[in-house]
Amino acid sequence: MSEGVKLSIKLFIITAVAALALGITYAVTEEPIRIQNELASLETRKAVLPGAEEFVQIDLSEYKGQYPNVVEAYQGKSGSDTVGYVFKVISKGYGGDVELFVGINSKEDRIENVSIVSHNETPGLGAKAAGSDFLSQYSGKPAGSPLAVVRGSATKDTEVQAITGATISSKAVTEGVNSALELYGRLLKDGGAEG
Amino acid sequence: MKKALSVFFNGVINENPTFRMVLGMCPTLALTTAAINGIGMGLATTFVLIGSNLVISLLKNFIPQKIRIPAFVVVIATFVTVVSMIMQAFLPELNESLGIYIPLIVVNCIILARAESFASKNSALLSVVDGLGMGVGFTLALLLLGSIREILGAGTWFGMPVFPESFSPAVIMILPPGGFITLGLVLGLLNKLTGRTE
Repeated sequence: MSEGVKLSIKLFIITAVAALALGITYAVTEEPIRIQNELASLETRKAVLPGAEEFVQIDLSEYKGQYPNVVEAYQGKSGSDTVGYVFKVISKGYGGDVELFVGINSKEDRIENVSIVSHNETPGLGAKAAGSDFLSQYSGKPAGSPLAVVRGSATKDTEVQAITGATISSKAVTEGVNSALELYGRLLKDGGAEG
Repeated sequence: MKKALSVFFNGVINENPTFRMVLGMCPTLALTTAAINGIGMGLATTFVLIGSNLVISLLKNFIPQKIRIPAFVVVIATFVTVVSMIMQAFLPELNESLGIYIPLIVVNCIILARAESFASKNSALLSVVDGLGMGVGFTLALLLLGSIREILGAGTWFGMPVFPESFSPAVIMILPPGGFITLGLVLGLLNKLTGRTE
């Protein structure tokens, strides 16, 4: 057997064993990873809407195209009562997509909490948008009207104070929240009976 | 034992991967915006280095010299992927803190460098010690760079404020240029201190 053939066979054995190891690991971990992701998503939903005990996913195919930023929507229930809605929104930030969860308390018609699950904003500047100092501003804001970003201190109930030096990131989060508010208004109008 | 100790300190000091070999600059520059990132990346790399060094060392007699590089790359990529999947599935807390660093380790040439220059020529035990030493050296280097950049660029260390309110941090230090500035100055200073100038 020539050396080339020998080397090929050895390399083939190495890659075949590697592929087998990867395949087995994938098969074993696929289900647990799915469960972990599901759990993490549930944790976030609970964090933005603490009053809800279970979350029913809302079929968004009917609204497709109209609210392109909203990727997932859930109706939060406590017993048979609807206590609010949770929206997963993807917004365009300075460094790429900003993924956030918005919880709306439909009993009080107010935003409950906003949480950012992933972003690529500039560390030390836009990344502050994911911190509680900035996000806590949204809690308690009225859910009926869109919010605006202002520089300097916010004077109105519908205003959010921008992070110094990171207006684009501040706007991205606010626009994401506004998309959630829009869809929330639409859902209330359409599904008044169940909501 | 003596040999093992010298291998360990070789990785931490004499052949420190960041300050002496200047390897793995991509994660070094990108991640050292905060001290905690340095620790996270350092620990994840240490873990992978130990594992890949062990595997390569055990396989060294099977892998022919002529195809060692593709073989090493396959082994390391497989090892990293398996570790990443297992962490995602069974260790969610650990994955939460270190998970984002694991895919970045694939682009870290320290792993391949140690496989090539150490693990493929030494015993399994010494290779593990070498992985540990190199990992600790890398962690300390990232921690130093991350600390300098976080303190000057954000005014905090491990998230805790270190300056009075009136201090205005130099944001450039945590932006990409700050990475090059810090690395250059630290490398220059270390060379000066150790008399490594030409």
